Amino acid sequence: MPSASSELSRRSFALLTAAAPIALRAAELLTADAVVRRLQTELGGEWSAAGPDGFKAGDPTTVVHGIATTAMATLDVLKQAVKAKANLVLTYEPTFYGRADGRTPAPGGRGPAGLAPDDPVAKAKRDFIEKNGLVVFRLRDHWQSRKQNDMVTGLAAALGWSHRVNPDDALYEIPPATAEATVALIRSKLNLRAGVRAVGDRKATVRRVLLHPGSMTPAPMWQRYSTVDLIVAGEVREWENTFYAADIFTAGEKRALVTLGRVASEEPGMRACAGWLKTVFPNLPATWIGAGDPYWRPTA
Amino acid sequence: MTAREVLDLIQKTSGVPISERSYRDTFKIGGPDSTVTGIATTFMCTFDMMKRAHAAGLNMVIPHEDTFWTDRDDVKDLTDNALYKLKTEWAKQNNMIVWRDHDHLHSMKPDFTVVASLRSVGIKGGENAAMAPRIFTIPETTLGEFAAQVKRLTGSRAFRCVGDPKARVSKILLGPGYATPRMTAEADVVIGGEQQEADGGFDNVEYVMDAASLGMAKGVIMLGHAISEQPGMEDYANWLRTFIHDIPIQFVPVVEPFW
Repeated sequence: MPSASSELSRRSFALLTAAAPIALRAAELLTADAVVRRLQTELGGEWSAAGPDGFKAGDPTTVVHGIATTAMATLDVLKQAVKAKANLVLTYEPTFYGRADGRTPAPGGRGPAGLAPDDPVAKAKRDFIEKNGLVVFRLRDHWQSRKQNDMVTGLAAALGWSHRVNPDDALYEIPPATAEATVALIRSKLNLRAGVRAVGDRKATVRRVLLHPGSMTPAPMWQRYSTVDLIVAGEVREWENTFYAADIFTAGEKRALVTLGRVASEEPGMRACAGWLKTVFPNLPATWIGAGDPYWRPTA
Repeated sequence: MTAREVLDLIQKTSGVPISERSYRDTFKIGGPDSTVTGIATTFMCTFDMMKRAHAAGLNMVIPHEDTFWTDRDDVKDLTDNALYKLKTEWAKQNNMIVWRDHDHLHSMKPDFTVVASLRSVGIKGGENAAMAPRIFTIPETTLGEFAAQVKRLTGSRAFRCVGDPKARVSKILLGPGYATPRMTAEADVVIGGEQQEADGGFDNVEYVMDAASLGMAKGVIMLGHAISEQPGMEDYANWLRTFIHDIPIQFVPVVEPFW
């Protein structure tokens, strides 16, 4: 690590003493670690070492040629990143199939939560990352802590909704349509498949929509559902918010809940992240790569 | 007949104690001294289902899942909630009793929810299955054909499948409800009710997407929680009828809420 950064500063110094335009290009020679430190400064706050964010694979001293953002760094996303010549991947969700995200399980822990050390899928993914010189960093807590909450504004923008009722809230006013038509619009705008599931009154007229990308717990559902026409969430638990919405329907309220899939609901926010990265690193290409709706349903 | 007498018979016949430490297996509405006119078994005590049970003259509901939209049925934040008030007031006016059988049921061997879920997806040989999942081998087929068969048999509308439809599969691992098993080296297909999609204990969805990208034959099928566990509550009603004879007993299913 020290050798790489001193190498970089030596080179930067040499170039800085030359013509100015070249010095600007030298500033692009950032390691993954330097990119992350810059992100840390830009996003602010204390970065907890105990949180989910951090390097998950690859060498942090790698010089970054391009950044790819994604909601979930699947192997297909990594393959596309290589094609797009992006070697730093910022992912909102884990890379190695769970919250532990590739960390060695506790001693003796080959339980349901642990990943076997010789797991062939994880091994192939690590080999692919190494062979292609990729660096994978999980950027979740610190990205969503931004005041603007780009996870919400990104989703709204992807759906073509711009009238945010209150800047501190995720409530939007949209042109009126039935719940059914609004769900069809969401499906088509986000290019979703079987991940979309809706509950409630399909004929309800939708004007006020609350966006809740990611996982939605009962508390915000109980507080907000009866004040809006539609909640758009990533995922909920069936015995919680799904049947709360079903009971509200039985009670005669005309509203609906639609879930898009956790990852699908987070993609627009990570697309927004790529846009923001371009303002932080104007000379570094940044691209969003979607993981796509994982789910399909037989037609027969 | 009192609710207490119903519980005593359930406990005695199953040979499995109803644990007083379980926060799940408790009365949610009414109590042990309430008089039972008839029993309705179901997946979850939804408002709609409770109304249909009442219309059928059955005032005791035995759901496998919750009544007030959290596993603990913790209502301290719901006292001012209009839906909570409506549901509880309606239930009291109609002398309804709700007692949940979850932990006790999953301790039974065989476990009705597992046996019936296996049967509902067309897997044979699961008559003695209990909660710990084991692999069932089916004649080799494609994931696409198997998924189509499972969807048709279960009637699940919100059915979701991950993996390559052309992958050839035969080893099936099933766990109903939220007990969706993790993918293993041996299994080709994991079937469950629902699971947190990412950032959980083990993320089947991403794992199967990556396995498919590597050309490995792996699939995951999410039936929906109600679709996967409710068939077991029909078996439960049939079981109750073998030892409770004086009052009507019916399976009153929750309708799959998704469209």
